[in-house]
Amino acid sequence: MDAHSHHEGPLPPMWHYGETEHDPISTKTLGFWLYMLSDALIFAGLFAAYGVLGQPMDAAGGPTAAQIMHPIAAFWQTIAVLSSVLAYSLATVALKTGNRNGVLLGIIAAIVLGLVFLVLEFSDFADLFAVGATPDRSGLLSSFYILVATHGLHMMFGILWMLVLIPQIMRSGFNTAVVTRLLNLRLFWQFQASVWVCVYVFVYLRGTIQ
Amino acid sequence: MTDPHHPEPDPLAHAEVQQASVIGYVAGYALTVVLLGVALLLTQIHGIQPVPLLVTISGLAIFLLVAQSMFFFGLDLSRYNIWKSVSLVLTVPLFILSIGLTVWMFHALNGVMAMPEMPGMSMQPTTLQ
Repeated sequence: MDAHSHHEGPLPPMWHYGETEHDPISTKTLGFWLYMLSDALIFAGLFAAYGVLGQPMDAAGGPTAAQIMHPIAAFWQTIAVLSSVLAYSLATVALKTGNRNGVLLGIIAAIVLGLVFLVLEFSDFADLFAVGATPDRSGLLSSFYILVATHGLHMMFGILWMLVLIPQIMRSGFNTAVVTRLLNLRLFWQFQASVWVCVYVFVYLRGTIQ
Repeated sequence: MTDPHHPEPDPLAHAEVQQASVIGYVAGYALTVVLLGVALLLTQIHGIQPVPLLVTISGLAIFLLVAQSMFFFGLDLSRYNIWKSVSLVLTVPLFILSIGLTVWMFHALNGVMAMPEMPGMSMQPTTLQ
């Protein structure tokens, strides 16, 4: 330890011997990143289940993937979720200069666009329910609903998280705790865009390919 | 919590905050919307065979995931991001194993189960006979 405490020259890229300051933002964002990866493995399991149960014979005589997927309508969901992620990401650009109004504006825009996404998703589900394509109809529909709704549930919790952060920003300003939460929420929200890319391509677009 | 000898550093000066970039986020947004639009168009023009089409849109999705990991998550080999990059690289095999092997195994099983009346197979004794 002592041999390294007066390290000279540029810092080693990974390890910093000697006195280091505790860096709560880096440790918490890395911890949240590791949570995000484990969350991604939940989605991996759901995609694997859909990959197995999304075959025509799993429709069990009910509607097939090609009959329930409307990729053009779902493209509006793509635009809504990506725009919401962009709005939140730009809010964190305003955070760089401590621009409180910019951050709040970006978060509110992200909430509105996230709600647009959820309304589109629920109306799509309602249309499917109206024609009898309910989750209990077949293995294909069960795995479709659980996969897409798990993403929708993540969107709901992200919006809830934003609603909780707005009063925290107004009350405490950008202290270390609030900034860490804002950064972790950015990670969470951008992750929803990555999951949606997989949902859109491997569920909605693939479903239309015979 | 507050130590008078070590005043809390400005959280906004942290590299995680300062890595936010308008150009990167807009690029990630535009790439994703445009390439998913291209994938949608490819599935709507009914001229491409299913397998090449599936390979093409899967390639687009993987390209977008890599682009998002750089433009959105800001993954690189810098001091603040290298552990995120390393942990992602170590997790990717788990995605391949859990999705790829499952789908491949059931796909292979499907081929065996769907053709019980194949002449070659009926000659082989099974536990059912």
